Amino acid sequence: MPLKIERISQQLDRMARMIADSAPAREGFLGQAQDCLRSVNADALRQKLEWQRTQQIRIPWLVAVPRGDLSRSVPAPSPPADFCVVGSDASSIPLDRHSSVRYYVLNVGYAILCYGQKPDAVLEASSRLCFQDQDLYVFPQKWDVPIEGTLLGARMEVESLRISQQAMQQISRPTIALRDGPLILWTLQNESKEVKQALLRDLFEAMDALRQMGVPLAGYISYTGSRDVANSLRVWLCQGRPDECERCESSDYDLCQALATIHDRDLFIFLAQGERSELFGSSSQILEQYGRHRVDFFYMNVGEEIVRVEVPQWVGADADLLGLLHAAIYDQCRRSPAVPPYPPALQEAHEQAVITTTERRLVEGMVEQALGRHGQRVFRSAKDHSKRRRGV
Amino acid sequence: MSQNRLGVVVDGAFNAGLTVRLDSRITTEQLRIGNFVVVEGQQNRYFSLISDIHLKATDPRLLADPPRDPSPFIAQALAGTSTYATVEVRPMLMLEKADESDVDALFEERGGPEPVRTIPMHFAELREATELDFSTVFGQEGGANFAMGTPLAMDIPICLRLDRFVERSNGVFGQSGTGKSFLARLLISGVIKTKIAVNLIFDMHDEYSFDKQTEDGHWVKGLRQIFGSQVLIYALDEAMGRRRGRNVDVTLKIGLNQIEEADIVLLSQELNLRQTAEATIGLLRDAFRQQWLLKLLQMTPEELGEFCKGSGAHPASMASLQRNLKRLQRQDYVVDEATFSALDDMVEALDRGKHVILQFGRYNSVLDYVLVSNLVTRRVRQRYEEKTRRYEETKEVADKPRPLMITIEEAHKFLNPAVARQTTFGTIAREMRKYNVTLLVIDQRPSGIDPEVMSQLGTRVSGKLTEERDIEAVLTGVSNRSALRGALTSLNTRQQILIMGHAVPMPIVMRTRQYDERFYQAMGARVETSQDAQTDILDLFGDP
Amino acid sequence: MSIGEIIETTSTAFVAESFELNSPPPLGSLVVVQVSSETGTSTGLDLYAVVIYGQTVGLDPSRRAVRRSTDKVFDAAIYDQHPQLEHTLRTEFGAALVGFVADSVVRQHLPSQPPPLHYSVHTASVEQVRRFTNSLHYLRLLLVPHGEVPPPQVLAANVREVYQQRGVDRLWLDAAAREIATLLQSDHQALLTVLYSIDPGKVSPSTVRGGQI
Ligand SMILES: Nc1ncnc2c1ncn2[C@@H]1O[C@H](COP(=O)(O)OP(=O)(O)OP(=O)(O)O)[C@@H](O)[C@H]1O
Ligand SMILES: [Mg+2]
Repeated sequence: MPLKIERISQQLDRMARMIADSAPAREGFLGQAQDCLRSVNADALRQKLEWQRTQQIRIPWLVAVPRGDLSRSVPAPSPPADFCVVGSDASSIPLDRHSSVRYYVLNVGYAILCYGQKPDAVLEASSRLCFQDQDLYVFPQKWDVPIEGTLLGARMEVESLRISQQAMQQISRPTIALRDGPLILWTLQNESKEVKQALLRDLFEAMDALRQMGVPLAGYISYTGSRDVANSLRVWLCQGRPDECERCESSDYDLCQALATIHDRDLFIFLAQGERSELFGSSSQILEQYGRHRVDFFYMNVGEEIVRVEVPQWVGADADLLGLLHAAIYDQCRRSPAVPPYPPALQEAHEQAVITTTERRLVEGMVEQALGRHGQRVFRSAKDHSKRRRGV
Repeated sequence: MSQNRLGVVVDGAFNAGLTVRLDSRITTEQLRIGNFVVVEGQQNRYFSLISDIHLKATDPRLLADPPRDPSPFIAQALAGTSTYATVEVRPMLMLEKADESDVDALFEERGGPEPVRTIPMHFAELREATELDFSTVFGQEGGANFAMGTPLAMDIPICLRLDRFVERSNGVFGQSGTGKSFLARLLISGVIKTKIAVNLIFDMHDEYSFDKQTEDGHWVKGLRQIFGSQVLIYALDEAMGRRRGRNVDVTLKIGLNQIEEADIVLLSQELNLRQTAEATIGLLRDAFRQQWLLKLLQMTPEELGEFCKGSGAHPASMASLQRNLKRLQRQDYVVDEATFSALDDMVEALDRGKHVILQFGRYNSVLDYVLVSNLVTRRVRQRYEEKTRRYEETKEVADKPRPLMITIEEAHKFLNPAVARQTTFGTIAREMRKYNVTLLVIDQRPSGIDPEVMSQLGTRVSGKLTEERDIEAVLTGVSNRSALRGALTSLNTRQQILIMGHAVPMPIVMRTRQYDERFYQAMGARVETSQDAQTDILDLFGDP
Repeated sequence: MSIGEIIETTSTAFVAESFELNSPPPLGSLVVVQVSSETGTSTGLDLYAVVIYGQTVGLDPSRRAVRRSTDKVFDAAIYDQHPQLEHTLRTEFGAALVGFVADSVVRQHLPSQPPPLHYSVHTASVEQVRRFTNSLHYLRLLLVPHGEVPPPQVLAANVREVYQQRGVDRLWLDAAAREIATLLQSDHQALLTVLYSIDPGKVSPSTVRGGQI
């Protein structure tokens, strides 16, 4: 056993002590930060952010653009008598770079849970073996940009939305669509414009369809690490340029520095159960590509947790859709037996989407067999062999 | 599986008998100790008796901790499975099995059941005996086969072989009220009817001749009323003869000259005799021969003293003997001098096929009964002895004496170990049918009878006995005693008997035949009144 | 009526997933698996089995069921409020093989082959129950422990079920009780356990219907 557990445990102790020691200070700053949140003039902040944007001043952080009063809290309306929640999730068996065959498997799981007069549920998965050029490359004609890593991740997100959207077509009741994870596919940020467009095309298609069906869509992000609002507060406090902290002489310097360690989920703990915050715009670059589907977000107390919910602006702009979404999410969380709660529709979608290790092995074997039947051998890299057989 | 199946053999030994596990639907209460049952072996059919019944459990814990208030349902489920019963079965006779298709032919060929010589294997079936089984073993009614009764649970006759019965002395035992006298009447009737022997009955309580009221309160007929003039009535009591419808054919007198030393010795208890009496009587006999008793009773004190001087007899003993024996003289039926002609006539009547009942009437004390029975029997036996001798010489069929059966109640008075060697009855019992005379001894205390006599009894019929000593006595010299002991104690107090011995192929428990109107008719009695019987007698003998 | 599908099978017993959540066939009841044809038989086989346990668990063995009731929502209402439960839970039942009918002859011993996996399990019709239980030898096959329910309980449950299905056949019940008494003769505690639990109590003779054993 190379891991020296006893060393770690000694360090662990030091760490715990350190956290405990700094707790009072953190509490203090959190209080100040919340006071700040309450005192911010939203219009002024918005203007400041807008001004900075137009001045092309590089803000090194993602910031939130408040659509209204920052400390506003909106209680959840009650959901309609009959409604459905469609959750979707996806997982994959990624391309195996140690294998001579190139393929990956996409598994989209979705759950349609209908409540009210005639409760019903559909738990399904759609699995696909992807091996053709159009699956393997963003630009199949040129065999260019293989779909791997982040691109595969983005592909999964898009696919899950597309498939669940198709599955919910027969539903006549008010419905909301929930995705596990962000709608802002910021991982694509560093890809070329063409790549982004190619990947987002399908996403927007699905979102268009949902919009037409009047189904509000949301990305549900549990235990979010985002600091967009905290960062906006730093901008608010900043007297100079946010990218020149080293020169800062403000009396709020300490608070500003503390804000850098504060998560939005801590700032919004004032939300009562079921309440959501004001909508915020995101400064994420990728959103420049989103056009009519630009995504805003809000925070929400679902009980024991402040989660981040991302919604397209066409949802945020429609009080009915937003109300339905808000009510349904809160209702979902109340139905959850877990603590903190987690929407059952997402839970079941996840269960449908997961691919177990056994299943992974099974698919691998099946691929080898199928190829074998056609006289093809699968070659494996030596490294892969060594990973599989760990002899001593 | 046969209809009346009871169970299967699961264990056994030739010497110990068979153990049969009862089928679950059979309850032990359906069975009785002594029941006649049949074990179907592969080659033989075993006619057997149930000698014991055991309760068993497959799990001993069940016995230690029986279910508390089990419902009938549970009791029924346990019965015969977890709890079950076994019966001990004694094979008595066996019969080789016939090819079922040809029963009759094989039946004759094989000539009936034989004593057991083997036992059947495991799982041989035990079943209730059927009518056919009974008749296979005990024969059909008719001829010398006399129906004595029926199985406890069936209505078919069980027969006794009367020809074999009269070949030996027999005994009828049982507690008081178990039906001994009725049984004797049945047996005697059978003997009369079949003419297999003639009877001499010492009727101490006047119950054999005429109507008698049963314990149930109704009246049953006497032998005279059934058989009319075939039965002669002798009486000691003259008064008897004067009663309407109760004719006495002969009034018997006993002469002092007929009384012998042995008679007196037999009565020493009743007469309060001293130990010296026997010696004194010896002296008297030497001096006066047959007249000794008469002489003694007539002696004056002086004569008595003189006799003592002359013979060396002890005067006090003499005086006491004279005093005690005076009692005899006081009985009305005792006369100073009598001839044997009356008794000899009686023997002649017996020889002609008549049956004699001697009624004691008022003289029914033990003294009278013992004295007269012994005296009469002695004479009868003497005469039979003579006849037999003559027959042995002439070998003429006409000279052959008819077998005679002498019935005595309270048999222990004559046959107890102290006197059995000296009484005529003891002699008859021991010498068996040498002279064609046998006894039918009736007694409620068989333990009082000399074991040697008991062991000579050919057939024993017994009602219920409870005293261990009596049971032992009845079973003297019988095999399979344990099985029979159980049967004896489990009999009903009335009209149930166990018969074993010479006249039956195997011991059997039965319900005694009802002594009633149907029986009289079966015995050939006309439906008649005692008035008719009397006329009958008048026709024969003229007015007495 | 088809009520489930075999998801585990051995020579002595099988496990089936019930088509209906929370209602496996009654403990002790007879179920039938129709196997199309085996060599030597012309009409195929009907395998008979006695239900030896039932259970409802999470479909995914790694997902345990959690408490879902609240002040207002409990019992059946939970299933209305959480419609996905119908899909994430499953009810399964085990059944011990007790014989088969081949060429319309009832055999009360184990079949030569286990029932095929994924075949349907049917409830036995009243007629099938009657025919199969005319002989009681199959009861001894229930003495072998299979699952968590102890054999005496399975035995008792079976007798109660069949007794009812045979139309309160008292003669049959008495015969079965005697058969069980014979089978459990060396363990009277177990025996009494069974007898107490199949005791029909006082039944007036008019309600006792006859039946041939
Ligand atoms: N075979 C029979 N037929 C009709 N009644 C009978 C029979 N056997 C016995 N009884 C009844 O039983 C009663 C007693 O019978 P019985 O007088 O023969 O008894 P026992 O044994 O001679 O008694 P004890 O020793 O007192 O002389 C009879 O009065 C009669 O009612
Ligand atoms: Mg008497």
